[in-house]
Amino acid sequence: MRILLVDDSGTMRAIQKRCLAKLGIVAENVIEAENGQVAFDKFSSEPFDLIMTDWNMPVMDGLTFLKKIRSVNTQIPVIMVTTEAERTRVVTAIEAGVSDYLVKPFTTEALNVKIEKWVPSGV
Amino acid sequence: MDVSFINHFIESTANVFNTMLDCPVTRKSLALKNKNEPTHEVSAIIGLSGKHVGSLVFSLSRPVAFKCAERLLLVSYNEVNAEVVDAVGELSNMIAGGAKAQMPDLNLSLGLPNVVVGKNQQIYFPGDVTPISVGFQTPWGEMAIDVGFDTRLGGDLASVSRKAAVC
Repeated sequence: MRILLVDDSGTMRAIQKRCLAKLGIVAENVIEAENGQVAFDKFSSEPFDLIMTDWNMPVMDGLTFLKKIRSVNTQIPVIMVTTEAERTRVVTAIEAGVSDYLVKPFTTEALNVKIEKWVPSGV
Repeated sequence: MDVSFINHFIESTANVFNTMLDCPVTRKSLALKNKNEPTHEVSAIIGLSGKHVGSLVFSLSRPVAFKCAERLLLVSYNEVNAEVVDAVGELSNMIAGGAKAQMPDLNLSLGLPNVVVGKNQQIYFPGDVTPISVGFQTPWGEMAIDVGFDTRLGGDLASVSRKAAVC
């Protein structure tokens, strides 16, 4: 199980990596990117099973990244983890092809539930 | 400025601290802020733009900033480094995002946070509006949020950045 973790905040990436580690996903299988462009470049050159992405990022935001992903891959699960909580934003992300959505701030329990939904047991 | 805006930021601040840091906060004070200097030593500034333009300044004493970063990253800090700056910036992002969600009619967008260290800074709000400053007490020390919205202005985030300049 290889996960692409996209957030411009190293703090948020660290929190999410801790949750992934508790679910048995070793750090070597969590590839980090600080914006959508870096993430898309990594996605284009390496195989991944799950993407977790922020929305508001410099260079390329998460919505643009999501649309680029969906233009080449309609299957890979993409979880958006973001402060964008308004209904219109969630609808926009769904229309762009997001698989799941988690609003910041979140409890680690809520994050675990979202990840476990998309990460098969025994990874 | 519509003072009802401030309540959304107060509620969002308490929610972010409870949810992400397991830290209760108590509101201490609420006043117009006539000085341009940040209230405490570590301050994140984030612009919001839509039907109105405004800024949030999330200002922490150093001990509170260190404890926030420690809770999030499980590492102890005694100096303001890149990790502390990132943690404070991300908290400001979540506070602004939570408040924004309570004002959907304004169709606000968030800018990316900038963090300044030290009290010898001058922060100007959009339209020269006088911000409202809310002081909080935490178990780790004091912090504050300053919120200023100019309801006469609406525009993009670039204009907010120009108007909420740090000198």
